[in-house]
Amino acid sequence: MPEWKKQGYPVASTVKYLQELISKDIPHVLVDVRPKQEAEKEHIKGAVNIPLDELAKAKKLFPKQKNAPIIIYCTKDNLSQKAFDIVRKWGYINTSYLEGGIDAWKKAGGEVLSGQLKKEIVYVPKPKPGTIGIEEFKKITGKIPPNVIILDVRDPEETQMGMIKGAKNIPVNELKDRLNELPKDKEIIVHCATGMRAEMAYNILKEAGYNVKFLDASIQIKKGGKYKITEN
Amino acid sequence: MGKKRNGLFLGVFILFLALALVASQGISQQKPIIAKGCSLPGCHTAKAGELWGNLKTVSGKAEMIQIDTGALWTVKFDENTKVKNWNQPLNKLPKEKEIAITYVEKNGELYATLINVKPPVAVDPSKVVKVAEMKRIYDEKSALIIDCRPAGRYNEGHIPGSINIWFAEFDKHIDKLPKDKNAPIVYYCQGPT
Repeated sequence: MPEWKKQGYPVASTVKYLQELISKDIPHVLVDVRPKQEAEKEHIKGAVNIPLDELAKAKKLFPKQKNAPIIIYCTKDNLSQKAFDIVRKWGYINTSYLEGGIDAWKKAGGEVLSGQLKKEIVYVPKPKPGTIGIEEFKKITGKIPPNVIILDVRDPEETQMGMIKGAKNIPVNELKDRLNELPKDKEIIVHCATGMRAEMAYNILKEAGYNVKFLDASIQIKKGGKYKITEN
Repeated sequence: MGKKRNGLFLGVFILFLALALVASQGISQQKPIIAKGCSLPGCHTAKAGELWGNLKTVSGKAEMIQIDTGALWTVKFDENTKVKNWNQPLNKLPKEKEIAITYVEKNGELYATLINVKPPVAVDPSKVVKVAEMKRIYDEKSALIIDCRPAGRYNEGHIPGSINIWFAEFDKHIDKLPKDKNAPIVYYCQGPT
């Protein structure tokens, strides 16, 4: 399956998958590629309508994240597959179409709405569990609240090049032995250089019962404490 | 010379045995050492001093690897750690990859002596279909295509027209197979695992 998917060959999803995405509020993009009149008569909640003959010109409507789950539906699977081919060629690796289309959805008891559909695709990926957003991280490190500890888990040699002002350094490979240096009543926000060691530290601290988040991003810190963050 | 080497080996062996006993009495009683997914028929059982599960994180810089056996274990490694079935840097291992770690305990820390990456199952080459051939079969609808993965994976994305029979429950779904014993069938799952 991974190789098939990588080649961009057709991928179908079941009604159960879409039901789960909707009921659990998991971010996704749902595209109804039927003509406008048909889509307005009945459609699946959250769908945006882009008729098949307009889809090729609609690339700029789609999200910047190429790993966004995109589910396409129509009435006929061969038409869904045509739409799939267009979107998949844009590089969206997690594109699939609803096998059986809207009829399969209705047959499984899925709810349909009537009226106007959304015109804009809004895709906000769900953050990885345990992570802190970049903007929030910047805000907190600008002035570290009294109940927060910024924990730098890089090696001491790396911290020589620069550390965030007010941060505490415990290399991740010493963390287990130095847990007594961290209080349980404060929120701990962990960072490293790329996010990998920070996630490792997050796992250790969470298991030890700490209130902890980690920065899942790359960060470069200068001598005076100023830094630059780039998304992974 | 020979006698001295034998004595040395015996000493090391006793040391390892003692450490294994300590580990089995202490650590392994608190957290599971083998992932539930490995409880399927034909899977191994983990011994003392071994952890079986899925890779969670690994850092070459910190020389640490975390494995999920149903609980989190953090194990250190170094240049003496042997790696089996993997010839790239450890941080190239895909997340969730099934691994087994043999470790010793020193000063309350676990040190990996062997990291064994689960190798691809050996399949008779004459029974393997390449992806290009698979596309032709799909286009021509010339074989029944069966997805052997759990339903959740199938639901998320599958080859259109394929049916889903999770391999662990294969015997319960014989009725889904064609009557004609000569009819061609192609099975797929999540890649070489």
